[in-house]
Amino acid sequence: MFNPVPSLRPILIFSFVVATAGAAGVQKNISFNEHIRPILADNCFACHGADAGHRKAKLRLDQGAEALASREGIRAFAPGDLAESEAWQRILSDDPEEVMPPPDSHKLPLKPEQRALIKRWIEQGAVYQKHWAYEPVTRPDLPKAAGGAKTKDAAIDRFIGAKLADKNLKLAPEASREVLLRRLTLDLTGLPPTPQELDAFLKDRAPDAYDRVVTRLLASPRYGEHFARYWLDLVRYADTHGLHLDNVRNLWPYRDWVVSAFNRNLSYDQFTLEQLAGDLLPHPRIDQLVATGYNRSHLTTSEGGAIEAEAEARNTGDRADTTAAVWLGLTANCASCHDHKFDPLTQREYYELGAFFKGLADRCWDGNIPKPGPIVLLANTEQQARIEAIARELPPLQAALSARAQMLPMTLPAPVAEAEKPATLRNASADKPEKKSESPPITYEVVWAEDGDMPVAANFGAPALAGEWRSGPAVPVVSGQRALRLEGAVNERIFTFATGETPLVVNQQVVAFVYFNADPTRAPRAVSLEFVSVEKTKRYVWGDPAALRPSADGDVVVGPLPPAGAYARLEIPALAAGLASKKAYRGLRLSQSDGAAWWDHAGTTCTSDKALDDPLLTKSAWVRFMQSNARDVTTVPLPNDIVFLLGLSSTQQNDAEKKRLEDYYRDYIYGPTRGALEPEVHAVRRLLAEQVHYELTLDASLIARELLEPLPAHILIRGQYDKPGERVQPATPSFLPPLVARGPRASRLDLAHWLVDPKNPLPSRVAVNRFWQQLLGAGLVRTPGDFGAQGDPPTHPALLDWLASEFMTSGWDVKHLVRLIVTSRTYRQDSRVDPSLLELDPANKLLARGPRIRLDGEVLRDQALAVSGLLRPKIGGPPVRPYQPINIWEPVAFGGSNTKSYVQDHGDALYRRSLYTFWKRTAPAPAMSTFDAPSRENLCVVRGRSNTPMQALALMNDVQHFEAARAFAEHLLAQPGDDGQRLTLAFRSVTARTPDPTERALLAEALVTHRTHFAADTSAAAKILTNGEAKAAASQPAPEIAAWTLVANLILNLDEAVTRN
Amino acid sequence: MNPCHDYLNQLTRRQFFAGAGLAMGSVALNLLAPRLRGAVTAEADARIHPALPGLPHFAPKAKRVIYLHMNGGPSQLDTFDYKPGLQSQFNVELPDSIRAGQRITTMTSGQAKFPVAPSIFKFAQHGRSGAWVSDLLPWTAKLVDDIAIVRSVHTNAINHDPACTFLMTGSEIPGKASVGSWISYGLGSENNDLPAFVVLTPKFSSKVSAQALFTRMWSSGFLPGGHNGVALRAQGDPVLFLENPNGVDATTRRAMLDGLAKFNHHAQARHGDPETLNRIAQYEMAFRMQTSVPDLTNFADESPATLDLYGPDVKTPGSFAASCLLARRMAERNVRVVQILHRGWDQHGNLPGDHRLQCLDTDQACYALVTDLKQRGLLDDTLVVWAGEFGRTVYSQGTLTQTNYGRDHHPRCFSVWVAGGGVKGGVVHGETDDFSYNIVRDPVSLYDLNATLLHCLGVDHSRFTFKAQGLDQRLTGVEPARVVREILA
Repeated sequence: MFNPVPSLRPILIFSFVVATAGAAGVQKNISFNEHIRPILADNCFACHGADAGHRKAKLRLDQGAEALASREGIRAFAPGDLAESEAWQRILSDDPEEVMPPPDSHKLPLKPEQRALIKRWIEQGAVYQKHWAYEPVTRPDLPKAAGGAKTKDAAIDRFIGAKLADKNLKLAPEASREVLLRRLTLDLTGLPPTPQELDAFLKDRAPDAYDRVVTRLLASPRYGEHFARYWLDLVRYADTHGLHLDNVRNLWPYRDWVVSAFNRNLSYDQFTLEQLAGDLLPHPRIDQLVATGYNRSHLTTSEGGAIEAEAEARNTGDRADTTAAVWLGLTANCASCHDHKFDPLTQREYYELGAFFKGLADRCWDGNIPKPGPIVLLANTEQQARIEAIARELPPLQAALSARAQMLPMTLPAPVAEAEKPATLRNASADKPEKKSESPPITYEVVWAEDGDMPVAANFGAPALAGEWRSGPAVPVVSGQRALRLEGAVNERIFTFATGETPLVVNQQVVAFVYFNADPTRAPRAVSLEFVSVEKTKRYVWGDPAALRPSADGDVVVGPLPPAGAYARLEIPALAAGLASKKAYRGLRLSQSDGAAWWDHAGTTCTSDKALDDPLLTKSAWVRFMQSNARDVTTVPLPNDIVFLLGLSSTQQNDAEKKRLEDYYRDYIYGPTRGALEPEVHAVRRLLAEQVHYELTLDASLIARELLEPLPAHILIRGQYDKPGERVQPATPSFLPPLVARGPRASRLDLAHWLVDPKNPLPSRVAVNRFWQQLLGAGLVRTPGDFGAQGDPPTHPALLDWLASEFMTSGWDVKHLVRLIVTSRTYRQDSRVDPSLLELDPANKLLARGPRIRLDGEVLRDQALAVSGLLRPKIGGPPVRPYQPINIWEPVAFGGSNTKSYVQDHGDALYRRSLYTFWKRTAPAPAMSTFDAPSRENLCVVRGRSNTPMQALALMNDVQHFEAARAFAEHLLAQPGDDGQRLTLAFRSVTARTPDPTERALLAEALVTHRTHFAADTSAAAKILTNGEAKAAASQPAPEIAAWTLVANLILNLDEAVTRN
Repeated sequence: MNPCHDYLNQLTRRQFFAGAGLAMGSVALNLLAPRLRGAVTAEADARIHPALPGLPHFAPKAKRVIYLHMNGGPSQLDTFDYKPGLQSQFNVELPDSIRAGQRITTMTSGQAKFPVAPSIFKFAQHGRSGAWVSDLLPWTAKLVDDIAIVRSVHTNAINHDPACTFLMTGSEIPGKASVGSWISYGLGSENNDLPAFVVLTPKFSSKVSAQALFTRMWSSGFLPGGHNGVALRAQGDPVLFLENPNGVDATTRRAMLDGLAKFNHHAQARHGDPETLNRIAQYEMAFRMQTSVPDLTNFADESPATLDLYGPDVKTPGSFAASCLLARRMAERNVRVVQILHRGWDQHGNLPGDHRLQCLDTDQACYALVTDLKQRGLLDDTLVVWAGEFGRTVYSQGTLTQTNYGRDHHPRCFSVWVAGGGVKGGVVHGETDDFSYNIVRDPVSLYDLNATLLHCLGVDHSRFTFKAQGLDQRLTGVEPARVVREILA
């Protein structure tokens, strides 16, 4: 039990212990950075560090100049003089008023070994060093090699070996070739080696056999997929927005770009430039724009009550924090409320860093839509040409439409007295109006087909209409200039609402109509009308119903065809046709059986009880309707920006956006003027529909664009969004090399260049440390996101610098760095854990053995799919939704979210690499999250590696793992050989190792056990085959497949299977 | 015979850990974490997930927590914070002196008026303590002498997502560890057959679209992943992947696991990694969970009297009542933290109607839970917490009528109750102004609330830290937090 307030006695005892320890076991040479700084950082810097605002006694201990200086005759540390070192005396003090750290700091008294180090350091002269990470990267000389090797490739081993030699240790022998190949293949591609690859490697005794495998694996497209996954953790890539509704977000092209960047071996500096500022490069290519998705991968929201300044401040902070952690290993966020307490980052500098992102053009609201702008459409050349053509043609037509619409009054039509209503309308209503309305009902007509191009949206991409709009003296029209001529059999042509139109809701009495004029010489045998709706409605028929296709939902035969040679109004009443109140319909479907006829002037008569609630009469009602019914925006043919605006609450819209919505409503939605506008708009509609079609169906990705005028950046007092302080400009922290700005205001591109400036000491160290961590299980700096005073100092500082220098010298060549590491003896060591070594170095910081690493959830799943033959190799594309237990999304999701319900895919999508599994931030796939995958809500520099019963259950029982075992069993049974040979193959496929005699016996025993069981219980065996959707092979008896499935399930659960040895 | 039981009968827990081979489990744990060496007592030795050394810091009053989260923000004005003076203020504009320019959400910031909406519910005093409770909560009203009502809790966040994240993790920014994960990490588990931290997300009845939950509300954040809350589900497997695949029965699974254990012991002998022994122990726990979880969720052994206590909903899987009974059953089994998240309390409109439905879901079951725990002697060392993420405004959002109103989010004060281990019953703590808008006495921040919760568990919040992101992280943040001693026994 700890003692919070030290009493006299323990202090005395401590002092005694210190003296003893000091004499005996302490380091010969004390290094400030290695030994002293961590102690001071942990215990002193909070009050005596970089944060000027909270500094106590105006004393700072993180810099020698101040700590060693004499102030009024008192020195914190007096080199060589313990008695004169006030700080040391305070550490020893037993007076609660004097002792450091003080009891109210909640810090514990320094431990005896810590005191011993400080004492020794003072005795040795209290030499300060600058923090190691902020010193320039130098290229240290290689330590002498034990074996006299002189080649560059031996560098890593020389550094590791030298430190081991200090402790009288040496590198462990090389792992077996089997273990090595599995390790390397998993590490470079995330997949296990195939038995064929294993055989080839075992046979290849040439000295460069291993190097050639490295070459082969680095060239595999699987390499990019595997390495991308680590990067996506860092930059918190996901397929949803993350906050509140957590709707779908379309950023997967950026994910594919990362895969491609690794596969192309894009240099790390270019990789950096393109992600942070690809849009600011001269003449950026599409892929460079896609790369800027980095700037769009953070959490966003459109929660109704959210406050713009707050959301904007959080986004900016998140961008700054992530960039600082990923490239600088800096915990920048600590400086959001005050100067950083441990590292020399001021609060001002934090907001200067954030200021680089203040020019980004995306709104802080996501509108709950998949593609909030700016986006880049990923079109082929032909599509691109058409998109550009539309962008040229559309604006003048839209302007003309707007001009015309502005001239039409938007005053509400006069109420219609009951007696004046058409008879059909009164008869149509099966229900009585539920309530007497406060004001008399208003009846108005919405015309949606007048002069042409009627079924635009529905017909886009469908076969051409079997008819044409004609004009001229011989053409009879009801109104406007043209009428539609249909000849012959016309089935299910649709007068639909065009682009941008709202599905009409039957919250009013609705009668749809169209004018029909049969050719006197060739009258059709029958015509019909029907509502287009997901609801079942009756079809209304004029003429002989037998002449039409049978109707699924029943016919109402109105009577004979109207007399030919003149227009007649055909009507169908909504309620009588079966559309219940509040149900929506999207248009009118007509059919004509043979003959010839003119059709014109189609629309709807609406009677609205309450204009304020009618979407076609009142904009706010339309917005409400869209917000509550159109969450799944992909089904609504609206321009992307309108969908975006509909996802915002009115207070989240700026004035320009409000006007855009008003204008759009006036031009395209408002009901009563539609007939008058119709002749003007059909060309606009067609183009608009095409444009929307591209926006909806083309691949697109969220990108960065720079505003002409960036938002002002301020210091936020105590980090509060509503307490802006002094205004700041983009700048980089002063403790790092200066930024070179290429314009009057430093840009994101300048920041990116600065991040890969060889003079900047952090980015190369931070990057090589992460690759080291990825390949050796832990970094040389064990806190990969914190290279500051509170982080762990590097276990091998010289090696870290050598690697950083080599990385930069090579042109930031990632594959070169990876090759250096994986060809080292250090990497190739056996991972056997020697008990005495475990005692000496439990965390394996010295690297006297290879690490054993539990595989990530993605690798475990991919491994099972690979050995079973189920894995589908397709690279990239939209995310897929493989098996997931029921009820993962539903219990947590917001009712209106489009990721409320998980709809599983089928077929190949079930067997894609885990990288492509849809990532919902508020409920990530259990197959991954069970194995410590982050939620991707915030940056993640290293995953944990827990060991839980939940993991055991997943690997044993998750259908994807068990189905893989079954497919694996079927694959094994299809191979030649006897049980023993197949068991060996099974074991080798997973572990890459030939089973030893004990293991062979255990495998055989397991097979016998399960075979006996399933032979006796054939119904259980049959059930085994029902796990998963992959078809079971018919060639083998079920009990045999079942027995082998359990053996495969066992092998895939082996400690050795879930671990990288 | 159930082969799982057979196996467990052959190997009682003590034998399991004392038995050949598997006894190395505890050795492995020692090797794994050198800091544990010497700190493990005989009792902890038998635990797969022991407490951290040095924890608890002092003798705890509570050994476990049941956290009832009313998600969406129940209205303090309509439940516990009685404001009789408001009846005469119906539809009167909220005085500027009360609002004092405080921010409000963008859902009502555009409103032209902020008309006061007095509660339409009747309040009465209850119990010896005479605490005021509205007739929305007739059952909770009977509990007032067993619970401490805190009417002066406040939060920083004004919208659901950040507010829930703050309530559950002590920070508005995603990525921190949840309350339950902290407790699991610090105090470990005394149950080797069930997870230390279990989460339930029952159904709800309000008609509005309920706010979302997020796994971050029970995520371990920067703490080791094993401390994630485990969802106990009403649909599908009660615990993910608990059920064996089609055609695999318990005998088959046991046979597979026997083979697996032999292999893994053999492997451990080859490469000497203590983590392999830990893995063997985790697979065995998984197997035991395959029995213990169905036992847990099977109410057949509950008496009719007990079932009646929880009300008719208790027989509906996934109801709040069933979740409360499950929580009691887990308390009996020493599960460290149970968190029940009941959604649907976000009434921007139609508050009277929907709050009534929400209370019908929860009120009796809350009463039953506390009463049942008390009858079984479990309340003394079980802490029960009832809390939303914020309160609601005194002014009406949308149309105010004599019978209907809505209320917007209100972070500046709301009511929470706590009961059980270490808490004094019959206490009403804190006071708000006449409009339940600002706190006038004894404010309690969420940091204070969490500090108090940890205190009941024997943990000094200021010394309970985990180093991450360059900082000694605390559940209670970096600002000072205070244990609310006034509500402690």
